Amino acid sequence: MSARGQVQLDGIVKKHGAFAALKGIDFEIKPGEFFALLGPSGSGKSTTLRILAGLDAPTSGRILVDGEDVTGADARERDVAMVFQSYALYPHMTVFENIAFPLEMAKRPKAEIGPAVREAAAKVKIEHLLDRKPGQLSGGQQQRCALARAIVRKARLFLLDEPLSNLDAKLRLETRVELKKLQRSLGVTAVYVTHDQEEAMTLADRMAVFMEGEIRQIGRPADVFAQPNSIEVAAFIGSPPMNLIPARYQDGSVLIGGRRLPTMLQTHGERDVVVGVRPSAVRFEADGIPATVEVVENLGDAAILDMSLAGTALRARYDRFPLPREGDAMGVTVRPEDIHLFDPVSRRRL
Amino acid sequence: MTAKRLRLGILIGVSGLFLLAWIFPILWSLLNAFKTEQDVLAYPPKLVFSPTLDAFRDVLFGATSILPNLASSFIISIGTTIVTMALAIPAAYALARLRIPGKRWAGFYVLATQMLPPVGIIIPYFLILRNIGWIDTYQGIILIYLSFSLPFAIWLLVSYFEDIPFEMEEAAFLDGASRLKTLRRIILPQVQGGVAVTVVFVFLNAWNEFLFAVVLSGNTVRPVTIAMFNFVSVEQTLWAKLAAVSALAMLPVIVLGVVAQKHIVKGLTVGAVKGGGRR
Amino acid sequence: MNKSAVAGVVAQGRRALHRRADPARIMEGRERRFAAALLAPAFLALMATTTFPLLFLIWTSFYRMNLSMPFMDGFAGLDNYRELLADPRFWQSLGVSLVYTASTVVLQVVIGLALAVLVHGMRRGQGLFRMVAILPVVLSPAVVGMVWRSFMLAPDFGVVDYLAVTAGLGSHNWLGDPTLALVSVIVIHTWQWTPFAFMVLLASLAALPDDIYEAARIDRASAWQSFRRITLPLLRPAIVMVIIMRTMVALTAFAAIFTVTGGGPGTATEILNLYAYRKSFTELSIGYGSALAVALLVFTLVVSGVLFALRRAK
Ligand SMILES: Nc1ncnc2c1ncn2[C@@H]1O[C@H](COP(=O)(O)OP(=O)(O)O)[C@@H](O)[C@H]1O
Ligand SMILES: [Mg+2]
Repeated sequence: MSARGQVQLDGIVKKHGAFAALKGIDFEIKPGEFFALLGPSGSGKSTTLRILAGLDAPTSGRILVDGEDVTGADARERDVAMVFQSYALYPHMTVFENIAFPLEMAKRPKAEIGPAVREAAAKVKIEHLLDRKPGQLSGGQQQRCALARAIVRKARLFLLDEPLSNLDAKLRLETRVELKKLQRSLGVTAVYVTHDQEEAMTLADRMAVFMEGEIRQIGRPADVFAQPNSIEVAAFIGSPPMNLIPARYQDGSVLIGGRRLPTMLQTHGERDVVVGVRPSAVRFEADGIPATVEVVENLGDAAILDMSLAGTALRARYDRFPLPREGDAMGVTVRPEDIHLFDPVSRRRL
Repeated sequence: MTAKRLRLGILIGVSGLFLLAWIFPILWSLLNAFKTEQDVLAYPPKLVFSPTLDAFRDVLFGATSILPNLASSFIISIGTTIVTMALAIPAAYALARLRIPGKRWAGFYVLATQMLPPVGIIIPYFLILRNIGWIDTYQGIILIYLSFSLPFAIWLLVSYFEDIPFEMEEAAFLDGASRLKTLRRIILPQVQGGVAVTVVFVFLNAWNEFLFAVVLSGNTVRPVTIAMFNFVSVEQTLWAKLAAVSALAMLPVIVLGVVAQKHIVKGLTVGAVKGGGRR
Repeated sequence: MNKSAVAGVVAQGRRALHRRADPARIMEGRERRFAAALLAPAFLALMATTTFPLLFLIWTSFYRMNLSMPFMDGFAGLDNYRELLADPRFWQSLGVSLVYTASTVVLQVVIGLALAVLVHGMRRGQGLFRMVAILPVVLSPAVVGMVWRSFMLAPDFGVVDYLAVTAGLGSHNWLGDPTLALVSVIVIHTWQWTPFAFMVLLASLAALPDDIYEAARIDRASAWQSFRRITLPLLRPAIVMVIIMRTMVALTAFAAIFTVTGGGPGTATEILNLYAYRKSFTELSIGYGSALAVALLVFTLVVSGVLFALRRAK
């Protein structure tokens, strides 16, 4: 395995006038890794990706690709390929010409271009569309064409900015799986921008959670999911989002609804905390904390219960049938290992 | 029901009247070109007559043929169009696309130059061109024509360049294309429509220009719009020939107008509709 | 130290400088140089053909300069302007400009708007109107002037005269009578350019969303009410733009008037633009002609200032 496609960002700051879109971004991506930039809209993901691509310049900081400083280099000197959210297909060229364009620019011999284009098109299953213009393609086909154009040159970095967001839900799921297979088979480093935590969770080897121009957490998706390091990250990751309940901590337990729930944290003393509980971690026991079901959202194979528990709202996943009815009283509890504790002031994990 | 009918009838009548008002003077002068001198002067005006091509034959192949003048008009118009587009396309691209300081001012300057009355340009340029011997030369008249064709062309083209998404260009950079290649291979093919509109307008404006032509024309540079005065004199006006010359002067622009109708309406409205929102 | 060693040190220094420079600056600099290369030719040409003559014009307006009497040439200070303020022909031409511009613009917009609304409501025949409307607009004003003067307004066999006689208005010297001549040039200009206003306003009407009108109908608005309360306000930007564009053109109209009346009879149709031309190129009084052209520029700026203020208002 070659070591092509290693990326390092060092203290990247991007200012638009007084507004700092990026406040110091650092991360490293290993060759062949699928790396996701996840965060809400406006958090600076696209800005980071564009700086990495060389489309924008950082105000300060360094970008290294394969150990080489490319901070001041032009986009076309960086040997990166990108898929845009809008696909940015060239409307006056056929699919073939679109895919061939990067090769042509790289001055590859004519004899080489045809087979390379067909190979890339075959990888994304659009061989039969090569003579069409982008305007004659469906959204999904356009997206594939953009993918083919990006992979044909075998660039060392493969950048994707919300490439699936313009597809309908079903197609998005299918394409997601194929995208992952494609990246694996090419062995290329991929940097993937998305605001959809599910996409990041399923696709990425590692991900960086962006918020307000900063990275809040970096790690494997499963680790970030299991150990969110702040209230914001906890609230952003997981669907439906984690319940966050202000409560009182006392000698290893939290007080909720007049009951004590034991936690994994074993410190003496008393303090205010925010208790985080994923809806799927809520357990139902007859002698649990009493709660009232207010709304039942039936998902078919399970349901989300909106409950009220001692005056605070709690959402829980429920997958036994028959489902409870609105107004029913139920007992709930949470295992110690499922309780996340956060500091209400610093908002960090305890 | 009948009131509605009546109103409809009136509306059709009124609009029909305006249609007639617009088309009649043009048709009438065209008709006169097919008349004999006597038929032109007939009173009441003759709608029915035996048509003849004498007038056309005379003005095209007679002693005072206007073929050289038609050629002159074409040289001026095509020359102006080529030079204007060569200058305006890169400038419009830069103004629409590139991040440069003072862009707003540059745009404003382009707009402001259009405020200058042509007579204010031709007075000094007459003196200058006289000094360097460029009166009655094509380079002289084409240079002056840039004063109105260039700002117009830049301004029109900018609005077309602005319509192309930035990402298209960025995709090309990432595909390894240089700025110049991107402009040639990606951007220009997409503004073909806008370029066509602009070409049509620049050509029309150059063909129709009169003030500069009056001042700068001579024996070499003598477009039809000037040459038609040959047929008008105090002693005797050659009416049928004048009609034929008018018809020949109108022919290219009418053909262009009919063929490029969509382009022209677009060019006219881009200015008014789009410009209404911008700047 | 030998030469190559020096070169090496210099190169190293340059590289270090390069690294320290803000990358955003480097990228911007590259873009700026490219932009400058693209903009320079056009802007040089623009300056050479507009800004430079403007400065030259202002300069000559301070000179006594007569091509027929070059021996009299010399610096005149404000003399040309003093003369201008005391020149009744100047004031008259300014008045003619005002009448000509105001009446042609109002006529173009009113007729153009009425026809646009009319045609917009048609289910068939819109294409015919568009096609016919193109014709006058693409013609050379000089040819238009020639056609009107020769075949429409000629006193003995012109169609207009024939129609006037048939309608019982009697025969008139359409271009010989001062008032009729002014009316004639106004009509000709209106004839040629109303289609412009018509086409622009028709396109603007077509760009208005249909559902507004449907909503208005549901709100029981009459046709007149929906015109007054919906169409007119929505079209306002386009109308104002048309007014501005047409005003600029009317103020500097030349070819049609030159061909039809030459400014006459006397100075009855001599707008300021034409006066500046005649003074400079017929009477060869370049200095005074320049002052007239400057006056026209000032007048144009004042009028457009007023119009742009109007556009911003509300
Ligand atoms: N050219 C610009 N001028 C000013 N602000 C900008 C510019 N480009 C982006 N921003 C701001 O930077 C922030 C980050 O934008 P972006 O990276 O596009 O967010 P994301 O892709 O995460 O949705 C946003 O608040 C955006 O408004
Ligand atoms: Mg984004």
